[in-house]
Amino acid sequence: MTYEERSQAFKARIDAGDKIEAGDWMPDEYRQSALKFIEMHANSEVMGALPEREWIPRAPTLKRKLSLTAKVQDEVGHGQILYRVAEDLGKTREQMFDDLVNGRTKFHNVFHYPTYTWGDVAVIGWLIDGAALVNQKALLDSSYLPYVRAMRRICPEESLHLRHGEELVLELVSGTPDQRQMFQDAVDRWWQPIMHFFGPPSKKKDMLIYWGIKTRSNESLRQEFFSTYVPKLWDLGISVPDPALAWNQERGEWDWSEPDWEEFWQVVRGNGPMTAVRLAYRKAMWDAHGWVREIFAGIPEAA
Amino acid sequence: MPIWDVFGKRKPDDEFEWVGSIKASDLEMALVLARETHFRHKEGVAYAVRGHGEQGLHVASYGGDELGGVTDRSYRRQEAYVGVGRKHRKVSQLLAERGLTIDRPRPPVGRSAATSRSG
Repeated sequence: MTYEERSQAFKARIDAGDKIEAGDWMPDEYRQSALKFIEMHANSEVMGALPEREWIPRAPTLKRKLSLTAKVQDEVGHGQILYRVAEDLGKTREQMFDDLVNGRTKFHNVFHYPTYTWGDVAVIGWLIDGAALVNQKALLDSSYLPYVRAMRRICPEESLHLRHGEELVLELVSGTPDQRQMFQDAVDRWWQPIMHFFGPPSKKKDMLIYWGIKTRSNESLRQEFFSTYVPKLWDLGISVPDPALAWNQERGEWDWSEPDWEEFWQVVRGNGPMTAVRLAYRKAMWDAHGWVREIFAGIPEAA
Repeated sequence: MPIWDVFGKRKPDDEFEWVGSIKASDLEMALVLARETHFRHKEGVAYAVRGHGEQGLHVASYGGDELGGVTDRSYRRQEAYVGVGRKHRKVSQLLAERGLTIDRPRPPVGRSAATSRSG
């Protein structure tokens, strides 16, 4: 069989709903698409721990401090699980981390922004984790089975985080007018980055969808997010800073206004407000802890 | 660095089931990393690792109630957040009484706009 024929047979397997294992033959295009996507997911877990980590010392109570710490550990743990999946596609963890801290690979746009107040922590815990969970649940149908198994492991932890975030929000919105305002301000700050998070409306031929690595378009995931979270925000008396956002009864979907996509491209290319600071932090830790990795790799025999 | 498969038991009389894999230099590190990666939230009562090519499992001596924390670590688990849904409805109701909620058209409950549209 030629490479072309093998690729076609592989594509036919995907279209028939067959799942792919790490050891299966796969076209280079599939391997590269899956690797890039899972690597970025892993990077985002590791970088996503930082905006919240900044609030561990400033958490308002011991209980909040403990639960936030546990959550940060979970996110880094997800990174570990996902790097393990990505490694089997042919790139070492060391190389992936090196590429990340040196700005050669990407991580999700939302983790390039600062966290000014406890309200930001609440938005990340509820709405950003909520947006991530909408995406991650859709990945349970991915064609790459090792990734699906990682998602089966990660999704329950993410839904725990969501409860944790929702509880933070309820505390703020049922508090003083200042506390309510703190959360409203944070929603206003984060709404555009959250719209960016789902990505621009999918191109006609999205390689990730073509290969079944992703099974749903950016637009359908964004609509699901609106339906789940916008009514809940309204019930809490929190408005969404998009005047066009409305449920369109006739079309059975939400109207919304397209955000400034230029900012999105700037941010994911590494020019976000906190990109340099957070990468520098990760790089400093990576370099300073090199000796720990060496010991983990085994103490060399004495000469 | 060697790859180790990780196995867990949910209940004492279950069989060991595969839960994932990790990389570690030796058995001792493999047991530590397996615990930290896969058993932080009371996912089981016993766990084990197996190096690639090995026949038998290395069962960790650390198990039972200890796995997932001996002190109160319920904040790591769903049970700590039971009642959040109820609390959400209660808060919404209170805010409605104060005239603070936003009443605008929304999709019918239990039907998501997006799930019916694929691709």
